[in-house]
Amino acid sequence: MRRLAVFLFAASAFGQTTFPEAWPSYNGDTSGRRYSTLSQINQSNIDALSLAWVYRVNPGRAPQAGGGNVNTTIKGTPVVVNGVLYTTIPDHVWAIDARTGREIWHYVWPSKGGWHIGNRGVAVLRETVYVETPDCTLVALDSKNGKEKWHTQICDLEQFYYASVAPIIVKNHVITGVSGDDLDIPGYIESHDPDTGALQWRWYAHPEPGTPEAKTWPSVDAMLHGGGMTWVPSTYDPDLNLLYFGTGNPQPVIAGQGREGSNLYTECIIALNPDTGKLAWYFQPSPHDTHDWDAVQTPVLFDGEINGQPRKLLAQASRNGWFFVLDRATGKNILSSEFVKTNWALGVDAKGQPIPNPAKQPKLDGALVTPNQGGAINWPSPSFNPETGLFYANAARAWSVYYLYDNDDKPEGWGGNDRGGFSEAMLQAIDYKTGKIRWSHKWPGNGSGVRSGLLSTAGKLLFAGDPSSNFVALDPVTGEPLWHAALHTSVTNGPITYELDGVQYVVVGAGDTLYGFAMRAH
Amino acid sequence: MRRLVKGVFLLVLGSFCQHAFGQAGPYVRQEVDPAAADRGKRLYTQFCINCHGASAKGTEQGPDLIRSPLVLRDRLGDQIGPALKKLANHKADLTKAQVTDLTHFLKDQVEATAKNRNAEHPPNVLTGNLEAGRAYFNGAGKCSTCHSPSGDLAGIGRKYAAIDLQQRFLFPRRSKPIQVTVTPSGGQPVAGSLERIDDFSVSLRDSSGDYRTFSRDKNVKVDINDPLATHNQMLDAYTDQDMHNVVRYLESLK
Repeated sequence: MRRLAVFLFAASAFGQTTFPEAWPSYNGDTSGRRYSTLSQINQSNIDALSLAWVYRVNPGRAPQAGGGNVNTTIKGTPVVVNGVLYTTIPDHVWAIDARTGREIWHYVWPSKGGWHIGNRGVAVLRETVYVETPDCTLVALDSKNGKEKWHTQICDLEQFYYASVAPIIVKNHVITGVSGDDLDIPGYIESHDPDTGALQWRWYAHPEPGTPEAKTWPSVDAMLHGGGMTWVPSTYDPDLNLLYFGTGNPQPVIAGQGREGSNLYTECIIALNPDTGKLAWYFQPSPHDTHDWDAVQTPVLFDGEINGQPRKLLAQASRNGWFFVLDRATGKNILSSEFVKTNWALGVDAKGQPIPNPAKQPKLDGALVTPNQGGAINWPSPSFNPETGLFYANAARAWSVYYLYDNDDKPEGWGGNDRGGFSEAMLQAIDYKTGKIRWSHKWPGNGSGVRSGLLSTAGKLLFAGDPSSNFVALDPVTGEPLWHAALHTSVTNGPITYELDGVQYVVVGAGDTLYGFAMRAH
Repeated sequence: MRRLVKGVFLLVLGSFCQHAFGQAGPYVRQEVDPAAADRGKRLYTQFCINCHGASAKGTEQGPDLIRSPLVLRDRLGDQIGPALKKLANHKADLTKAQVTDLTHFLKDQVEATAKNRNAEHPPNVLTGNLEAGRAYFNGAGKCSTCHSPSGDLAGIGRKYAAIDLQQRFLFPRRSKPIQVTVTPSGGQPVAGSLERIDDFSVSLRDSSGDYRTFSRDKNVKVDINDPLATHNQMLDAYTDQDMHNVVRYLESLK
């Protein structure tokens, strides 16, 4: 445990996976690359990769607060620390033996309600496990037995907030985010004391009234009710001491006529000082969004080379279909390109931000738009492989028609929606230096519903779920499928890998089940 | 035992909450009584509408009540009642029953806002030009290559509402299965209706009704004929004006 604590507090240099025996946080390390240096499982022996264990979550018979059935889909990325794997669904945490898949303990939060759409996992620091619940609570558990240590409220259920994101540990901060877009409420991110849960700071996803950025809203009232939820975990650069995350859609979601302007800081990639919550910079992938294209996708951090110069980079494949490479010290744009073809932007502005085409905003009689509301990518994690220099995104080209239902001067809530349509799924390998697609693997069959994150490894493998219930290993250089396992349903989370007792495991979630694969020596 | 007790408690709590506040939805909120909401609306119209607006979204004279944390946190008047008595220029002498009715009206407005991603009325999509739609159908749209207003599309304007015509023209539902021909290495082609395909296998139902699966590798040839392929490709070609014109034309095919 001491070694893990050192990792979390000192963090690692980029390009290094310092804890191959663990997957200590949502993205494995603070960079968000989802790249592992493990290579026991590799291209030469992938055919022998076999099932080591299966674990199916069983939440019991307690009804879900607020009605409906318990959502048992595993959408979180498991965290592995000291041989124990932690996995979640809303209101439930399980500790599982990472070697055998046997349950160690199960914790149930007595929920008051909230959207039970999914939970993205836990954070672990020393002997405490942290999880957010749909009814707006941050709960701290004893990692030994799952007993509650404390809990604290992180949002207001009465205002239709809920919580789903995996907390992130940065130094002595537990970073939490919030969700909710039924009503017009502001998004924010918080930092809590890891020992007591006390609030250290809160940063709202809107400017201070009176600042130049506040002029991107027609009024203070619109700005203070402008959305910008923070529902995908952050990444962190220890050298720059900057925390990076994305913000979600502005409110009202579809009917944007009451919030003319670019609507900062919704739909932004944000860099904050994690000790103070002070803004360092922002970049806005979707100015004045009216399509629900939350820009929350993982901001992936890596060091690379641009025009022969070493650079500290941040890249995001955004839900709106655009790929961005930024200087992560300054937020200055280096590259903007489409990673799937879209039809909603007129080009990019001087900052590298796409310019929305007014003709493709929702209309009373409909506007045909690609991507659709689900996006060219959604929350499932991408991966960056420093060996290939490629950024991988499990993407979709999807169409729908966006309708405006409420043309009042002051719409509220959503005021419209999309309907339709057609979708095809593909795995895109993006060259970060050019933005060009190095290879594209179109998934055959049903094109909708790819909700698998990605994992790349030093074993020259790229792991992904396809839309046909397969867990697939591909060649990261060519995109050729090399191995697969047919699961009972499609992958629903991000795969992870770790090594224990000299055995490398790869674990993936599909529906209510975790599958543990390993290379078993005889 | 502790878990069992907790489970029993939740069952009891759930039962109580269903009774008191309604069972569905993401949070146990105050269930709107339509009759009480109607009475509350009359009170609202009489005493509140001038400042808070017709749909409670506020005016220059009074704040938005749908976005009001006080209203959102209220249960059957426990917040609104004291606030009415405390705030200047408010109706302080409403009875408890009247305050409750008022909360039902306001909660109804809140719930309607929270659900307004669903259309109350179908959008009017008949904004295009009929003749331009006919020309596109027979020309650049290539629709007449496969479809005919006197054949498969006869009476289509009677069969579907305009909004559904728009969706079905853009994203037609599959009426015929995808056809596939699989040619194994050194083998004879096998044709049939595609049942399932991924990178590793392809399954079809052949003309005799047999379900057959073939493992895929580089030596197995798979040819797919999707009747909707042209429709999907055309999505890149349609302008919104084309879309509206074609819908107007299709709607005329009574």
